[in-house]
Amino acid sequence: MSITRRGLIRGDVAAVTPGVAVGALNNRFAWAQAADFDSDVDVLNYALTLEYLEAEFYRQGNSAGLVSGKEQQYLAAVQADEDSHVATIMQTVKQIGGEPVAMPSVDFGGAFASRQAYLETSHTFENVGVQAYLGAAGFIKDKAILQAAAGIFGVEARHAAIVGNLLGLSAEDGVYMGATETPLTKTEVLAAVEPFLAGAGAMGDDAAVTL
Amino acid sequence: MTKMDRDEIFDGKPVIAFRGEHDRRSFLRTAVLVGVGAGFVGYQAGDPTAGRGSAWAGNLAQASPAGDLDILNYALTLEYLEAEFYTRGVAGGVLSGRELELVTPIRDHEQAHVAALTSTITDLGGDPVAKPKFVFPQGTFTSRDKFLTTASTFEELGVKAYHGQVPLVDSTDILAAAAAIAGVESRHAAILADLTGGNPFPSPIEANLSMKAVLKAAQPFIAN
Repeated sequence: MSITRRGLIRGDVAAVTPGVAVGALNNRFAWAQAADFDSDVDVLNYALTLEYLEAEFYRQGNSAGLVSGKEQQYLAAVQADEDSHVATIMQTVKQIGGEPVAMPSVDFGGAFASRQAYLETSHTFENVGVQAYLGAAGFIKDKAILQAAAGIFGVEARHAAIVGNLLGLSAEDGVYMGATETPLTKTEVLAAVEPFLAGAGAMGDDAAVTL
Repeated sequence: MTKMDRDEIFDGKPVIAFRGEHDRRSFLRTAVLVGVGAGFVGYQAGDPTAGRGSAWAGNLAQASPAGDLDILNYALTLEYLEAEFYTRGVAGGVLSGRELELVTPIRDHEQAHVAALTSTITDLGGDPVAKPKFVFPQGTFTSRDKFLTTASTFEELGVKAYHGQVPLVDSTDILAAAAAIAGVESRHAAILADLTGGNPFPSPIEANLSMKAVLKAAQPFIAN
């Protein structure tokens, strides 16, 4: 592959070799830097950190009494999904001989000040989660792990759509984000979630996701 | 894919009629290669974590000799089905308000997926299958409930079909592109479940179906 992610971002399409499927699919696949992840354990620990964040976010948010009825029901299901993702990823890291990263300290600021703030932050988290998985998927070498990660990615997309709909956002660019999902690189994802990480070094010394 | 699902979608009537024997065989060939020839290892529908504790090394098929082009043509056929389904459904005028707003972009997405997959196959030097002839059961587009319920079933099937192919795609580029589509299908599935009183979050990890299983469901309805 002769193209680089930076080339794509610059719109340097002349660098794209003919017949590149990604271009045909209008998919701004982020060609993440080779240095982003060294191993499947690295990718999984990156995912685990995001899942920790999400699980804790819903644990706090759902305890705040901001939602009721169907919204409450949906968000309880989302929380259960995120808890499941954390458990699944932790076990998988161990199974392949890795060390799961510790849960970071988090601070969600004013996210639980209102129903609106809760759902808006949720919507952001879920969409970043979708984009993070898509951006990292290409690094996963083990096909079984790849399939499971893709399976989690799809569920995060479900969350994003439903929360977008609860917010009454426009269907396109709100509930849906176009005909294809857009990936983000690790750097972009970490920049997005950094405000919720409490203090420097919150990720832990051996985390794969240090900036 | 259970018989019940099949009846929900198709009412036991032919849905896919390929335009030519070449296209039909192209579609079915992959079933033979992937479904029979590759020696599947416990590849079945369901949560990949089911029955394996929380291990997620669940339903992994062996590498397929079918090839990425065949997988893309398989996806294209399913997208053709969805695109025509929504095009006719939205035109049918049974939806309004927020429902119409939510479903109209789904039609646009499926049409975009058809175009994207077609050009991808062409760019890769392949031969995209022609659009098959679809026959939807009577009443599919004249009843809001019937349209949306069928849509929900199609979306869940589509999600499982994509996720079933993930470990079989060889090219990382194509995998990323297919995943980018699959995520959108998941959004569709969740919204349609919500609109029809179903469960938008049926599993913490998307379930998957092998091509064999999807084709087994569709095969009785493919007309020569």
